Amino acid sequence: MSREVIAAGVVPEEAPQPSRWRLLRRSGGFRAGAAIVGFWALAALFGPMLVPWNPFATDPLHALAPPSAAHWFGTDQLGRDIFSRVIAGSRDILTIAPLATLLGTIVGSALGLAGGTLGGAFDFVLGRIIEVLVSLPLIVVALLALVAFGASPATTIVLIGLVFAPLVARTVRAAVLGEIALDYVAAAELCGESRLAIMFVEILPNVLGPVLVEATVRLGYAVFAVASLSFLGFGPGPPSPDWGLAIAENYGVIAGGYWWTVSFDAAATASLVVGVNLLAEALHQALAS
Amino acid sequence: MRNPFPLIDPVRRRQGPRENQLIGEFIAGQIGRRGFLRRGSALGLGWPLLAAIAGAIDPLGTLPARAATGKAGTTIRVGSPMPAGAIDPVTVGDAGGLLMLQQVGEFLVFDQPNLRLAPMLATAWKPNHDGSVWTFTLRKGVTFHSGGMMTAKDVVATIERLADPRNASNALSVFKGVLSPGNIEKIDDYTVAFHLDAPHGNFPYYLSSDNYNAIILPADYKGDFEKTWDGTGPFQIEKYTSKVGASFIANANWWGGRVLPARTEFSFFAGQQPQVLALEGGDLDVISQIVVQGAEGLLTDRRMSIIRLEAAIHRQVHMRCDIPPFNDQRVRRALALTLDRPAIIQGLFRGLADLGNDSPFAPVYPSANRDVPQRRKNIAEAKALMQAAGSRGFPVTLTTEHLLEMPDYAVLIQNAAREIGIDVRLKVEPPAAYYGSAAFGKSDWLDSPFGMTDYGHRGVPDVLLTAPLTTHGTWNAAHFRNPEYDRLVAEFVAEVALDSQRRIAARIEQLLLTETPIIFAYFYDYLTATRKGVTGVAPTANGELYLQSASAG
Repeated sequence: MSREVIAAGVVPEEAPQPSRWRLLRRSGGFRAGAAIVGFWALAALFGPMLVPWNPFATDPLHALAPPSAAHWFGTDQLGRDIFSRVIAGSRDILTIAPLATLLGTIVGSALGLAGGTLGGAFDFVLGRIIEVLVSLPLIVVALLALVAFGASPATTIVLIGLVFAPLVARTVRAAVLGEIALDYVAAAELCGESRLAIMFVEILPNVLGPVLVEATVRLGYAVFAVASLSFLGFGPGPPSPDWGLAIAENYGVIAGGYWWTVSFDAAATASLVVGVNLLAEALHQALAS
Repeated sequence: MRNPFPLIDPVRRRQGPRENQLIGEFIAGQIGRRGFLRRGSALGLGWPLLAAIAGAIDPLGTLPARAATGKAGTTIRVGSPMPAGAIDPVTVGDAGGLLMLQQVGEFLVFDQPNLRLAPMLATAWKPNHDGSVWTFTLRKGVTFHSGGMMTAKDVVATIERLADPRNASNALSVFKGVLSPGNIEKIDDYTVAFHLDAPHGNFPYYLSSDNYNAIILPADYKGDFEKTWDGTGPFQIEKYTSKVGASFIANANWWGGRVLPARTEFSFFAGQQPQVLALEGGDLDVISQIVVQGAEGLLTDRRMSIIRLEAAIHRQVHMRCDIPPFNDQRVRRALALTLDRPAIIQGLFRGLADLGNDSPFAPVYPSANRDVPQRRKNIAEAKALMQAAGSRGFPVTLTTEHLLEMPDYAVLIQNAAREIGIDVRLKVEPPAAYYGSAAFGKSDWLDSPFGMTDYGHRGVPDVLLTAPLTTHGTWNAAHFRNPEYDRLVAEFVAEVALDSQRRIAARIEQLLLTETPIIFAYFYDYLTATRKGVTGVAPTANGELYLQSASAG
């Protein structure tokens, strides 16, 4: 658009904005992230049917065999095929992490919406509680809770969800405070809509973007949290092929030169975290544009 | 027939019937030199006499040199398991705590790595005619670190304390049914007689380093060991910091002579891996015990030395005989037949273990009867047994501890059991949760239908035969009740002669193979790692570490 045209007072016709979905699809980060996460999602769904070896079959006489044509990622201390276990191991983490994130997002969004919309003493008290909860290290809280309630997938989901909820609430509250002063909220109040309706019908759709970005970011953290808890012994027990458990079971032999016993599980965890973070970043950019 | 060993006759004339029976077995070739020395030491025959007899028949060679030969005045840095709680010689039962006790304390008798007994605070011991009374002669000139002279009253008080059920002593598993409080008699200041509940051929082992808690303490011990650390050993406490470590300095007044190192430093670790890294990084000289898993690198590292002792360390996989699904011995046998034991040993221990034959008789024990056939994997027979028992398989939970190779062993059992339709689910707990209150009704260890428990080394199998398997055994997690077994074990325990022990052992082993209340799949070696150039480190398979002759060059 030339300066002359603007100067002449001709209003240029606004170029059509590409849709957010189109922006996302154009993003290299999104495509890479989707490919990685998609690969692991397929592995979680169908991997156990496709792997070359039974992930649970032991063969002590061929323990700690290095990567080879027969065992692409080598074997672990019990002679189990690591490639098959890495593929099969995605199921646990891709079940627990998304469910935990979903729980944290729902609870956190509800709290954030309530705090931002209701304000006053409720918001003040909620804000202080959130500050206290956010200051507690996740792993310490998680370990205490798992010791108290016992380790199980359900406990882990609830625990990570509840630990993430204050973080989500803080983000959502900030977004709500940006919306609460806008005219459409005042108009809704004038029309006599209830507080609950204003929260969930008027404001929530307008803060869904930040909620979605926060949820995706939390998913990355959830993957890492689940793997960490498994590594510390608070995840699925033997003989699960869970990635964190596999690292915990085998890290002791790294010093003996058996690098393959943990490297592929660690790489799988890292790749899933990177994939989710790429998705989150692309989503954030698309929503911000 | 001409006596081939005329020099032995004068010696034999001075011995009692039990001693002569032993010498006769040795001459007849019924027992080897090692067995002769071991049994002879248990009977209280002195080393010069044993050496003379063994030398007359089969040259004994040189006894292990006690003299320290390395550089003096060094500090030996040791990686040790972290003690689980307060250090009290009466109650402590964990490896880290027991290692601390033994740094300052000493036993009446020392159970050497080759399972032969050697004098420590007692110089001699002797049974009466039937092995129901054992008399110990104490070493003179031994002082406690606090300055007092060790005499019979200290020994009587120490063992009374351990044998008294009111003290909840960890040694009750050894003394229960063997030695009751009030039955220890001070003959004079340096002679003590133990009047046993029943004849016992291996009793000296019960007062040896084999009985971890039996370090001799002053008679007026008040339960404040972590303040006093009062013992008679070659090292005295310098500093103890709970959960961190301990240091000891040489005891200049030690009865055993010169202590080579000036100091020893023990660092506590919660796991093996940091110890391996510390040893490789030069921050430790010794790791008191390593297991193969996680230490493969050390086994092949030329900068390290591995001290390997054949031992009876094992895992007991108990199956409760009193409730389904294992109340039919055919089902228990079937499960035992699914295990490929040589493969398990190779996989878990790189071959550094002996095969188990579902009894406590580890191959390291001279009393083990090797004529009993070894149980091998046999799926066809296992399936036939299941069919005969009317079982097509069942789900069952195997409860065990998160300790060393145990979760991996549990996975191997799980896979093996699947072959006969037994669906094993695993419940792996921290050791504290598994043991619970260590009392029936309050412990996953003693209550679970199917469980796996860690057991340490013992110099003789007696405790392993009684506590986990006899009807009233305090560790009878299998809830095994068999009067015939109880009778055979009582007979075995009372027997002094090795060939008789072996004969009874064969019957016990056969009975246990038939009943199979517990699976004993392997007995693994005790391994200690040192840096090259560190000499004189003397571990035992009991978890002790003797450092008075150690030197870090």
